[in-house]
Order: sequence, then C-alpha cells, then structure tokens
Amino acid sequence: MIRETRSIQTQLAIVGTGLGGLAAGIFAKYRGIKSAQVGHTGAITYTTGYFDLLGGLLGEQILDPWQGLSSLKKHYPKHPLVRIAKEDIHKALNLFNKELNNMGIGYSEPGNTNLMALLPSGVCKPTISVPLTMLAGVKAKEAKSPTLLIDFVGLQGFSAVEFVANLKKSWPLLTAQRIAFPDMIEGQQVFPEVMARALEVPSTRQKLAETIKPFIGNAKYLGLPSILGINKPDLIHNNMEELLGVKVFEIPSIPPSVPGMRLRELFEQKFVDKNVTLIPQHKVEHIELNDDGAKLFFKDPFGDIEISCKATILASGRFLSGGLKAEQQNIVETLLNIPVTQPTGRDDWYQEKYFDPKGHNINQVGVEIDNNFRPLNTKGEPINRRLFAAGTIIAHQDWVRQRCGAGVSLSTAYQAVKYAAKVLD
Amino acid sequence: MTQKILDFNKLAHELLPKGSGYDSCIACGLCSSGCPAAGFFGMGPQHFIRMAMLGMNQELATTPWVWTCTQCKRCLYICPMNIDVSLLVGAARGAWPDEKKPQGIMRSCEAQSLNSSTSAMGLTSEDFIEITQDVLEEIKAEDHRFNTLQVPFDKKGAYFVVNQNSREPGVEAEEMGPLWKILNYVGANWSYTSKGWAAENFCMFTGSDAAWEKMVTQRVDAMNELGASVWINTECGHSLYALWKGIERFDLKANFQPGNLISYYAQWIREGKLPVNSDWNTMGLKFTLQDPCQLVRKSSGDPAAEDLRFVAKKLVGADNFIDMQPCKSANYCCGGGGGFLQAGMREQRRAYGKRKFDQIAATQASYVLTPCHNCHSQIEDIGEYYSGNYHVVHFWTLICLSLGILGQQERRYLGPELENLGLVPGDINAKT
Repeated sequence: MIRETRSIQTQLAIVGTGLGGLAAGIFAKYRGIKSAQVGHTGAITYTTGYFDLLGGLLGEQILDPWQGLSSLKKHYPKHPLVRIAKEDIHKALNLFNKELNNMGIGYSEPGNTNLMALLPSGVCKPTISVPLTMLAGVKAKEAKSPTLLIDFVGLQGFSAVEFVANLKKSWPLLTAQRIAFPDMIEGQQVFPEVMARALEVPSTRQKLAETIKPFIGNAKYLGLPSILGINKPDLIHNNMEELLGVKVFEIPSIPPSVPGMRLRELFEQKFVDKNVTLIPQHKVEHIELNDDGAKLFFKDPFGDIEISCKATILASGRFLSGGLKAEQQNIVETLLNIPVTQPTGRDDWYQEKYFDPKGHNINQVGVEIDNNFRPLNTKGEPINRRLFAAGTIIAHQDWVRQRCGAGVSLSTAYQAVKYAAKVLD
Repeated sequence: MTQKILDFNKLAHELLPKGSGYDSCIACGLCSSGCPAAGFFGMGPQHFIRMAMLGMNQELATTPWVWTCTQCKRCLYICPMNIDVSLLVGAARGAWPDEKKPQGIMRSCEAQSLNSSTSAMGLTSEDFIEITQDVLEEIKAEDHRFNTLQVPFDKKGAYFVVNQNSREPGVEAEEMGPLWKILNYVGANWSYTSKGWAAENFCMFTGSDAAWEKMVTQRVDAMNELGASVWINTECGHSLYALWKGIERFDLKANFQPGNLISYYAQWIREGKLPVNSDWNTMGLKFTLQDPCQLVRKSSGDPAAEDLRFVAKKLVGADNFIDMQPCKSANYCCGGGGGFLQAGMREQRRAYGKRKFDQIAATQASYVLTPCHNCHSQIEDIGEYYSGNYHVVHFWTLICLSLGILGQQERRYLGPELENLGLVPGDINAKT
C-alpha cells in the first residue's frame, strides 16, 4: 500500500512524557519555543499525585527541604538538585504548579516546609505540594479531627480498616467503614478509575453521598481513596463536600490509581496548542544526531513518523519508562547508548537489606551531564551541543530514598529548557 | 469440530510487538482498569496475561470472554510494556470451532462470501446499483438543485474510490444521499466499484485470517482495477481498519493510498470547498463526539481525532462542543466494536456500554456525533436502555444541514427540533 512518511518540523523535540518530559514541555511553551513531544506510559502513571522536593536523607525525614538541600550538597555533591540554584528550583516548582492549576488540577502552593501527606497503608510522607483534593487529609491528621474513612466492596489495595489500625494510636477519632459503590456489578473487582469516571456524572455523586451519609455521625472529615473524578477533580471534590456537609479528602491508592491518570489525561488534552505537538503513547525508536540538531524516528499504527528538530531533550526516564535497561551484567541507555554511570558489577546493584538507609546503588545510576545539562560521553565531553537531559535519567540522585522525584524532574527540566533555548536563539 | 487448544505463551512470542512479552508484564492492572470488558466471565486483560504465563491454555481457549473483548487496543495503548492482548484474543477467536462461534458474526461473514459484492447484508452488485439509482432519482425529484448529481460506478480516471457500508443500501438507503451531495459539492472526482463495493468486514471478527484475507483481497482487486489514487472509506470505523490492516497483514499489493473521510472533510473545509458554519444552531444544542477506536487509536491516531474536532466545532460552534472524557486515542470503546453487536451477548454488551453511557451523560450533550456505524448503533441502544436523552448523528447529516442541502428523508437521526430546519430549497449555485 502506498504510504508517505509523515514529517514534523520543530525547534525542540522532547523524548518522554513523564514528569520531566511534561515539565520540559511546559517550560518550553512558556518560553515560546515550538516543540514536539513523544512518550509512552511510564512512572508518572503510578504516582501518588504528591510532588516531592526532598523528603529524606540518610534515613532521616526532611521537614525543611530548602535547608535539606544544603545537607544534600554535603553528602551528595554530584546530586542534580545541588547543581541548580535554589532560585531556579523555586521557579520550576512554582511555574509548573501554576500551569497545572491553569490547566485544571488544583495543587497546593509549594511552601517553605514539607507537608506530611497520607499514604494508603496509613503512614505519612514528607512532600512539598499535594493535590487540593488531598489537602484536607493533611489538616485532619494534624488536628486529629474526628474523621470517617471509607473503602469499597470489591476494591483491592485500599483498606480503611488497615489505615485506621496503623494510625489509631495517634489519631483516636479515626474510624473506618466499607460500603458498596453505586451501580457496580456485584461480585466483580472495582477499580478506582471506574469509580472516578462514574463520579463525573452528577447523579452518581448524589447516590454515593446518600450511601455515605448514614455513617458520618460526628465526623468532621471524610476520607476516600482517590476516586473524585479524572478530569474535574476539584469540581467533584467541592460538590461532594456540599452534598455531604463535611470536609472531604482523598488518599492515593496503589496502582492502577487515579492521580497519575489525571495528570496524563490533563496533558494529553489541555497542553496542545499551535506551538506544541504531543504524540502520547508512542516511543521514539531511533535518534540521529547531527550538527544542526537531530532526527527522531518512530511509528504509529498508520506508518512512519519523522521529527526534525534543532535541539533535543532526553527525558526518557529510568527502567519502567524505558530510558534505561538492565542487561545481564550492566545497565544501558536505550536510545543513544549514552554511557551510564553504574557500579562495576551486578553484585553491587543492591544492598543486602532492602530498607538499608543508604539506598540501593542501582537507584543512583544514570547519565552524566555538564553544567549545561548536556549528556556526556566517556571522555566527559558533551555528546552533541544540541542534546540535553532532564529528569530521573540523570545520575547521582535516588528518588526512591530521598523522596526527590518531582524536584529532580521539574528542576532539571527547567535547566535543560533554559540551555536548549540558548542554542535555539 | 473440536476446540483447538493454543499455546498462548508461545503465541505471545510470535505475535506481540518487539520488546514486549508476557514475561515483561509488571501486573500493574492498568489494562483491566481501563477495560469495560474486565470482569465478564471472571476474565479481563490482566487475567488473560497472567493465565497465559501460567500455561492455562485450556481456560483461555474456551473462555467466552474473547467475544466480549472488542479488540479496541486500549489495553495496548495504556500498557507501559506494549503488550497487545487483542492479538491473542484474535487468535483465540480463530481457534474456536465455527459452530460454537457467535452465529451472528458467522452469518454476516458467510453472507459476505456469497458473491463478489462482499456485502454482509447479502446485497448483490446489481441490487446496490439499482438502489443507488432509485435514491438518486428521489433526490432529484425532491430538490432541483441536484438535477445533475451523479453516482458513478467503475469510472476510470476517478481520483477517489469510495466504499459503502451495506447498512445504508440495505436498510436506510436515503442515508447515502448526504455523502453524494458532499462529494458533488466539493467537486470530487470519485467512483464506487460495482464489485467489492461493501465496506464492512465481519470476517475479521470471526478470528479467521483466511476469511479476513479473502474479503480484503476481493476489494483490493476491484480497487486496483479501477486505478484510483485514494481509497476513501465511508463513515465507518472497523471497515477502515480491516482493509488497511488486512493489506499489511496479508502482504497484498494495493495501488492506492488509504484515506479517511473525516480528514478529507477537514481539508475541504480548510480549503473553502465546504463552507460549513454553525449559524443554524441558534438553539445552542450541545454536541459531544465518540472517537471510533478503529479510526483513531487503531489507525490514524490523534491527527484524525483533531480533524474530527475541527469539523465538529465548525459544524456546531466551538461553544456547543463538549469533549467526552477520556477522548481521542485514550477513548473508551463504546461496546459496539469487535462484532459485539452481532455476538448475541446483549447483557454483557450493555454492561460494557454503561461506561460509555456515563461518559456521555457527564457531558450533558443532547447529540453524539460519530463517524462509525457500530458506534452509532451501540450508542443509540445504550441511550435507549439506560434512559438517556440524546440523539446519535453522522457527520454527513450535519454537513448537509449546515449547507442547507439536507433533504427531508435524510433526517431520521435528528431530533424534532431539527426535523424541518432549513428545508426550503435554495439555489446551490449561488453559494459556490
């Protein structure tokens, strides 16, 4: 059959649609740079929805992340966050926050200290910004307010009873109740996504509120797994508060969970404009770098697509997103075979103890960058003056133990776009 | 004929895209979470994958779930490991004994094989030509502006070859008129073929590659013989996918480019050849849109989805257009795909469609636009079943309504408020 290769000409190509890639897209749009972005489902889909800047260091919780950055510098001098001025980190977090709010998902403003955000098993973690649908949970726990926590028949991976059991000592007025979500087929597994989409229909919200009301009693707060809609969570959140007459908050559930779907669908639908081409759920298969930029190649069901650009940002993520791949003995970068800083052998990838406060070496592997956020070859030279890196593919950070994933992604994206803009001028 | 038991794990290695496999599944459940068929018969895409890994071939070969999966590929779309469950569902369907497959699908496929017209409704080429001539005469009699309207067959030198879903000539012949009027309006040089004119392909849904290939081959031969440059598929999702995918899958030689009608609508509007507007929508009627999986996610991707929205907004007014959520390539299948409408599993089909019904209800739109026959039928059915308050319309209906050339007989899918709108014939030449 006769098929023509479809070509896209752009200034900036961004590889990856995780937090780093999407932030790069936002920052590029903000600077008026024409961009094309390609990426597939990755770690962002599994997020709690919380944005961490720095929540842990050497086994200790960090309550003041800004002060924590100074300690980080002392212990991890090559950490990407310590290579960026605090002022730029502030700008990155605030700009991203503002754009998310503009596009339709409300987030709390990143402040001077971390919030202690709730997790599904009944523990808390320090984080810098939370979705507004989850904020009341932080306050309810802080004030130890009378709170009813709801879970649902058929929902796996979220137990109100377990949550209460783990927090009962410090939060005695917390109680649990299991109910059936309206109009679900009896005996089947119920997914958070299904409930969230059902709650986008006003009549379902009314039915749910009627089901919950008899159990509220003296509670001032009501907690739910994260199910308050995918596309208009703040509207649905407000509506549920009106219907129930108490403060309502969500707690992220385990994957497949709603907060990541919200972010992904928000970008897919609200982000595109005349300067932004977004090709979601596809993976770049091959990149050819040249003196004037690069050509990126991939396929969709209908055939071949080629992007020509003047600069490229590699934000392809780590193992889950496909930016890095673990071979039998070593770890490789998958698109350009960029050298990956890593332990000498597989035996050193992990510590013996899973909860070792030092964290596992494999979580710190990644590509090296120069001060302009360009990936380096084995000689320590930039691979191409028009190639930049952003996000967790960068070495020397441990987003798992240090609770710094969003901080690294947003801040490095901000820097990568800043330096890419200079070669585009 | 006895049930053939496939080795699904082995099959996965043969069929799944490069770099993916059952052993790469991280069991995150995103596939089942976004699958309206998950849960029927205790099965879902995640179950399917895990059971294949465990070698539970007997269970997978015999589960009727494969007939409730519409092969819409949303699980593939969302899977970080690129696992395409629909390919294995297709293989599982094919291994069922013919007599145990849903007979509605089988009968439609058999009807397509009866003669060279390839119509699932059993219409011959002569029937089709006769019906089109009758409808053409009626249009000319109703409106003098179409005195010179032509419906060409086997016209050498035509740029476009167009195929037609049998539903129109079979049960609602007057619905063919709007597309002819549009092609005439833009001055398209087009033709039907008398052989292999039908668009639908139920053979693909049987899981039989041989039957699918036979159907595609007949049509490709007819189109190659005509020598047109571009094949335009009618407003129908699966028939677009079945043909272009079939050409690739069976390595057939096709001397034409595939085109989708919606993108041509968009192009003609941009070029000024189709000067539609929303002036007629003085009531502020709200419209939403169902992206056919076969057209968007499985074929042209988001560029086609953007064209759909461009055309829809031009037709109804940007303020009157409300996107369903999720949409574009992330859209949910309505439950009309994969032969589900013909599979006789009404209870499951409607339970599947409840998610689509909720998504429509959330928009509060009074009309659903969709360029797909199966979407159209399913969305109408669930609307009636769940007491929805909306109508389902083709794009061609609104285009002609907007241009003031929609005949009285071409309004069966419009609500009472649009029954007579713009019916006074004007002079088409004055507009062009």
